[in-house]
Amino acid sequence: MSVLLSQGVTIRFGGLTAVDDATIEVPEGGFIGLIGPNGAGKTTMFNAISGFLSPTRGRIMFEGRDVTSMGPSARARLGMGRTFQKLELFGRMSVFDNLMVAAESAESKLDIVSDILSLPRRHSEETRCARIAEDMLQALDLGWARDRRAAELPVGHARILELGRALCTKPKLMLLDEPSSGLDSEETRAFGKLLKRVNEEMGMSILLVEHDMDLVMDVCKSLYVLDFGRLIAQGTPKEIVKDPAVRAAYLGEEDDEAAASPAER
Amino acid sequence: MQIFIRTLILGIASGSVYALASTGLVLTYKTSGVLNFGYGAIALFTTYIHWSLTCVRTPGITTSGCIGTHLPVWLSALIVVLIVAPIIGVFLERQLFRPLEGQPQIISVIATVGLFVLFRGIAQLIWKGETKSVPSLFPSGVAFHLPGGATIPKDSLGILIVAIVAALGLGAALRWTRIGVAFRAVVSNRSVAGLMGINTGYVSGLAWALGTSFAALMGILLAPTLLLDPNLLPPFIIAFVLGAAVIGYMRSLPLAYAGGIFIGIAQAIFVQYIRSQGILGRISDSLPFIMITLAVIFAPRALRQAGAGASFIVRSREITQRVSKNTRGLVAVVFFAFLALVPILFSGSWRDSVYQGFVYAIIFISLVILTGYSGQISFGQTAFMGIAAFTTAHLVQGAHLPMWIAMVLGPLAAVPAGNLIGFIAVRVHGLYLALMTLAFAFMADSLFFQNPTISGGEGGIALKRPAGFHSPTALFYLGFVFLIVFAIIAVNLRTGRTGRVLASMRDSETGSRSLGIPVTKYKVLIFGLSAFIAGMGGVLLSFILEQAGNRSFMPFLALIYIAVAVLSGIFSVGGAIVGGLLYGIYGQLSGYQLLSWLNNWQLVLFGLGCTLALVQNPEGMFGELRRAGAAITRLYERRAGRSSGRPEPLPVAGGQE
Repeated sequence: MSVLLSQGVTIRFGGLTAVDDATIEVPEGGFIGLIGPNGAGKTTMFNAISGFLSPTRGRIMFEGRDVTSMGPSARARLGMGRTFQKLELFGRMSVFDNLMVAAESAESKLDIVSDILSLPRRHSEETRCARIAEDMLQALDLGWARDRRAAELPVGHARILELGRALCTKPKLMLLDEPSSGLDSEETRAFGKLLKRVNEEMGMSILLVEHDMDLVMDVCKSLYVLDFGRLIAQGTPKEIVKDPAVRAAYLGEEDDEAAASPAER
Repeated sequence: MQIFIRTLILGIASGSVYALASTGLVLTYKTSGVLNFGYGAIALFTTYIHWSLTCVRTPGITTSGCIGTHLPVWLSALIVVLIVAPIIGVFLERQLFRPLEGQPQIISVIATVGLFVLFRGIAQLIWKGETKSVPSLFPSGVAFHLPGGATIPKDSLGILIVAIVAALGLGAALRWTRIGVAFRAVVSNRSVAGLMGINTGYVSGLAWALGTSFAALMGILLAPTLLLDPNLLPPFIIAFVLGAAVIGYMRSLPLAYAGGIFIGIAQAIFVQYIRSQGILGRISDSLPFIMITLAVIFAPRALRQAGAGASFIVRSREITQRVSKNTRGLVAVVFFAFLALVPILFSGSWRDSVYQGFVYAIIFISLVILTGYSGQISFGQTAFMGIAAFTTAHLVQGAHLPMWIAMVLGPLAAVPAGNLIGFIAVRVHGLYLALMTLAFAFMADSLFFQNPTISGGEGGIALKRPAGFHSPTALFYLGFVFLIVFAIIAVNLRTGRTGRVLASMRDSETGSRSLGIPVTKYKVLIFGLSAFIAGMGGVLLSFILEQAGNRSFMPFLALIYIAVAVLSGIFSVGGAIVGGLLYGIYGQLSGYQLLSWLNNWQLVLFGLGCTLALVQNPEGMFGELRRAGAAITRLYERRAGRSSGRPEPLPVAGGQE
């Protein structure tokens, strides 16, 4: 069964059709890329999937369940994790607390009364969630920044922290919105490696929206291509690179770059 | 019919004044990004100056603040509107709001609250808060008769003409002069205008000058009919001007103008046809606030969200080294132990004012958990206090419940009101939330607290202390225990899961949602808790005089509470406790001969302190105390060579972190 299935999703803003009848499927353990030229509707589609926007028509199915009418936090509770193109870290909180609040959101069964009265339950729940956060901190090599404010982190580390924060909620599907923006090519490669590990070692299903072709070709198992809101192609990176429609729409002027991409070689 | 025409003309006359002032307010807002909640107080201050220039000294009668120049009314009005007011405006823009540029909107909103308190305080200081009658600019008498016998007074006609001339002048200047074009460019898009080489700082300085001018003009035109009264004029002006400005969502000048005319006519119609009919008469008083509420609730999404997501505080002075947890705990214990001894060590009047300090500390804690921890804002704490106090009183008198039960049920009655505001706060952010809560406080006051069956009118309604706590010393310890309970709850709240969730929402609501955090639930919760704590503060406050009266819950007091809480430190419980005690014992201090001047300076100091704190260190006095404590620890550790066996010295800070 697929983790995520968007069926015939159409999104209109007034007269403008940003996404037109798009059907996207993310299989269990899949690593799917959603690409397209600027303004193709990638981020719009992405927001509809994560619940920050409601589609004009169509359905969003998550693990066989219709989640179209749910808001973002309800979807997150079902197991949709996401990151943001424009970082949405909790800037004044410490790096550790950023992870902690995520771990608690998914794991802690602490009720507000026991929390405010600091009953013994609070201590045991906090210890349990702190371990999750601490493990994530180590796994991401962010131990050195544990007590720094998140706002002080350089973009590269901030992107990793945001990914880690989403991972702390133990999602079933990870949605990544342009994670390479603001990163240099070195950092992008490292981030790609991290994503591969998350996909292979944790078996995490991932949907990646990205404009950096090198990254997409490197990490994704299968791709969808959007152009002017329509899906124009679907297939493995190799197939996509050869697809004439994609070349015309997207890689047309960028033949050199496509040829130099790792997937081509 | 002629009555209707007369009503219409009178409405347009006063409406055109509101329109002018609201245009000034919107102009300032659009060019500098600051919505000035201190507008009414500035109008009050400048109108007092106008009075001082025109007043006549009568021998034998002492009138505060009369200079004795006895200028002609017209000349004085021109001086105030064209010279004094613009200077004040430019000064404020340069000294206060430019340094705050780039800070979250909520910071500048609070800074204008500081301004309100400051100017209100200056009025108290110089003119002793006396009610003055200001001569009209226009001759009295009837200007002309309408067919059918209705008359139009000369001064209404005069006001109408002055307001229209000023509006046309402004319109023409904006349309045809070079600086007017620059103005319109900045109003429509400030950052792009800046890129186009327009000196936006110059433009916003000019806008502040114009804004304060219009405020002064409004005060001078309206004071003859309204009376120059520090308790009436500022809320009146702020109500009608904000109401008018909100109709156009503070986006367009013509809409702000139209909003003013509209609200003027609506008010005139209410007064003419509906007034003095019980509840409807009270609705007429809160008309602008009802309009604000409706406008905010039905505002387009993009506007409501303005200010959302911005981290509450951008810069604060960092504490390089923190005092260890144990030391802080020790300081807190020693400090509270000292407080517990106050009734034994000091006189009865000190004990009573420290009790007041406890009550204010509790009220400030309700602000700390809301603003400091969660990044939300409420200008409506007095409403929660009043709801709780009056409910408690009625439960005891009407339902004959024991006070112990009633004084818990009363604050609980404020919780649904808090929940409702929290629910609205999910959709409304920053500036609009501030407006909304301010409107809430005023509506609660005029619709309910001014109703004698609810509040007992002038004399208030009896609220006896609970059994066993009739003596002042027993009451002192009652307040002490409540303060400790709420302080512990607040500290637990901050350090625990709920506190992390609230902080995450403060920093990025979008991020919180993406983690599955139920944002609505937490906002409803925190506003409810804040309402409960403030409500308990209201009940405990009423125990002092053993009566609950609407004077204790006047909406403008909520603004003073915010100013003091910000000055003392709105980010920590320690700040709330320091601020509460300071506010509580202030009157006691000014009782001393040497410090008697403090009495008149109270609001000036608090208002100035609040605005200065925002510019210098938003963590307030308590933030500075903590820095001092950390510095002392560091010094000591250096001296002692970090020998760990010896006890650490006490930093100056008081209360818990």
